[in-house]
Amino acid sequence: MIEVENLVYEYPTARALKGVSLRVPDQTITALVGPNGAGKTTLLRCLAALEYPYSGKVLIDGLDTTQSPREIHARMGYLPDFYGLYDDLTVRRCLIYAARSHGIAPDVAPRAVDKAAGRVGLLDRLDSKSGELSRGLRQRLGIGQAIVHEPRVLLLDEPAAGLDPQARRDLSSLLLTLRDGGMTLVVSSHILAELEDYCSEMVIIENGMIAGGKAIKVRDDDRPRYMIELATARADLREFLEGRGADVIEADQIHALVAFTRNPGARAKLVRDLVGAGFDLASFGESNKALEDAYFAQVGRRA
Amino acid sequence: MNPELERNIWLELTPRRVLMMVGLLGLTFFAASLAEGLERGPAGAASILFYVLVVIWGSRNAALSVVGEIRDRTWDMQRLSSLSASTMMWGKLFGSTIYNWLGGAICLAVVLSDLVAHQGPGSAAIELVFYVGIGVVAQSASLLASLIAIGRRQAHSRLDQFIYQAIGLLAALAVYHFWSQADPVGAAARQPDAIAKIVWWGVALDAPAFLLTSIALFAGWTLLGCYREMRLELKMRNGPIVWLAFLLFMGIYVAGFDELLVPALKQWDVVALRLLRAGSTFVLLTYVMVLLEPKDRVHYRWMSGQIAAGYVVNALRGVQAWMMSYAGTLVAGVALSLWLLHDIAAAASGLPLVLSELGFVTRDVALFVLMQTLPGRRRGDVGALAALFALYVLLPAIVDGLGAKASLFLFYPQLQAPGWFGVLASWLEGAIVAGAAVTRLALSENER
Repeated sequence: MIEVENLVYEYPTARALKGVSLRVPDQTITALVGPNGAGKTTLLRCLAALEYPYSGKVLIDGLDTTQSPREIHARMGYLPDFYGLYDDLTVRRCLIYAARSHGIAPDVAPRAVDKAAGRVGLLDRLDSKSGELSRGLRQRLGIGQAIVHEPRVLLLDEPAAGLDPQARRDLSSLLLTLRDGGMTLVVSSHILAELEDYCSEMVIIENGMIAGGKAIKVRDDDRPRYMIELATARADLREFLEGRGADVIEADQIHALVAFTRNPGARAKLVRDLVGAGFDLASFGESNKALEDAYFAQVGRRA
Repeated sequence: MNPELERNIWLELTPRRVLMMVGLLGLTFFAASLAEGLERGPAGAASILFYVLVVIWGSRNAALSVVGEIRDRTWDMQRLSSLSASTMMWGKLFGSTIYNWLGGAICLAVVLSDLVAHQGPGSAAIELVFYVGIGVVAQSASLLASLIAIGRRQAHSRLDQFIYQAIGLLAALAVYHFWSQADPVGAAARQPDAIAKIVWWGVALDAPAFLLTSIALFAGWTLLGCYREMRLELKMRNGPIVWLAFLLFMGIYVAGFDELLVPALKQWDVVALRLLRAGSTFVLLTYVMVLLEPKDRVHYRWMSGQIAAGYVVNALRGVQAWMMSYAGTLVAGVALSLWLLHDIAAAASGLPLVLSELGFVTRDVALFVLMQTLPGRRRGDVGALAALFALYVLLPAIVDGLGAKASLFLFYPQLQAPGWFGVLASWLEGAIVAGAAVTRLALSENER
């Protein structure tokens, strides 16, 4: 759905993206994470065909952003990190305007508005002025405006910023519903724990490049991540695990984070082999912070 | 209905605001009809109120139509809509000013009914074209100025907004000034020296008709400019054709005025003087556009990269108006030089003047680009203007004060001697500044 080839973007004073290549499959939710100033928002704006790349190529649904920006805009929904609403308009009129400006015919627009409002839980607020909404409800309206025309691709820049825990949970379920409905989503966020609820892949942007060079699977039901901890340091821990079919994501002499088959027999054998080879095994268990583990494994440091 | 226009109607034409406008105007006209000594009674008041509502207030609203969206962070959502550039442009221009036009329409109704009663429907029709034209010119010039500034990623402070409005007001003032020289209904009708005929390309034309047509044409070009700037905002690329057509139009339009053909150089014939007028127009447009357009070094590197890779057509899609105007200046300058060669006397005095002017234009344009590549580039245009002030005013004044008037050829073209030294100096300066600009652009690639 989204293909990025060697994307370079320059501001007059700095190169923000330094050859980003990326492929986002259809009907997935991809997390875009990284420190402030890493280039996440610039990448999102390039994906949204709001900025021309200096070099490289961005294809959305097979369309080049430099050749067909308006066709891409028509099939795109984008919620920037800082966005405004028409405070003097009602929620209904905000959504009708969004629908009509995306080419939805006047007679169809009310149905599209009701559907979008229902998805974001604003059906009971349609006649409220948007300026009177709370932070969380404004966020919902922003997303409602971005999805009212049923885009193929939805880009969200820090959508959970400023939301309370309940609103974040609602946001997670909404994004999963949209994905299941056929949309492809790219979500930029700082909050790793929240992304874990709905993301299938993660792209780490650091200093204008993708750390590790490619997207990382956040969860793989066939090969989950396991954390192995030793009581006594062993320099050959990584080599030993790799020799037994484990994909080592991160390892030092005490810890190892590996992707390994879920098969109980195979896991039991790995534990037996470790103990048999004299490793002083302190713990072996599935990692419950997969996204955070994967992030720091790529970025290479702990917070 | 145009969705952007509809949204503006929701915001601007609320029942309360409409009632307020109608009520206030009604009361004003009633008061004017009772007042003594007021010229033309309610019609006079309506005429003034039209200028206030449509020209002054309307140009402000037009200037804010996109800038306000950026300030309120709603512009990205609009850019991501599937509205065409023309739909967006018309929706912005007439949507943001719809309240002003409501008031303006009421005022016009009063003005025109008075004209119909006293001077007939023909006069009313002429004035209708003028009033609508001046409103459209003022508002579209303000919108155009704001869109150009957005392209420059300029700040949107209150001062900036005032400047965009002021540009619209200046355009309206120019329209008013020219029209008032020949207005057969208004001020000029009562003046004995009112212009009745304008000689253009040797043909004597009815002045009011010519001026009204000119106003309509310039309003059309301004609207076309808004449309093209809107295309850029919506990430569509503009080709060079429209600007080249505008250059051609301006060259032909300005060169056609016989009254402007006062021979600066007695040996020059009419053709040479017309070429000089057209070339001077291109020079003026070059300076205006190089000042207004963003001089983005990333864009220039991209263009040179495209040319180096053989994608010339791609690069042409990124050509800016100042580049085309500069090219037009060179073409007009070369054409004029070739024409002057027909007459040895004219060539002896004219050629050095024309060629040195081309050299100085090259220097000045390169100066604008160079200043954008230096540290503190955000003030690059101010720096370039300061440098030009020094080159054209300060240094010549110092040189003159020191009694070295003969050295003035180093700063700007001279009508008299030293002739060819001036050509050499101007092109040498042009080459040095252009070389420095290109070097800085190349170096900035390596600084990445």
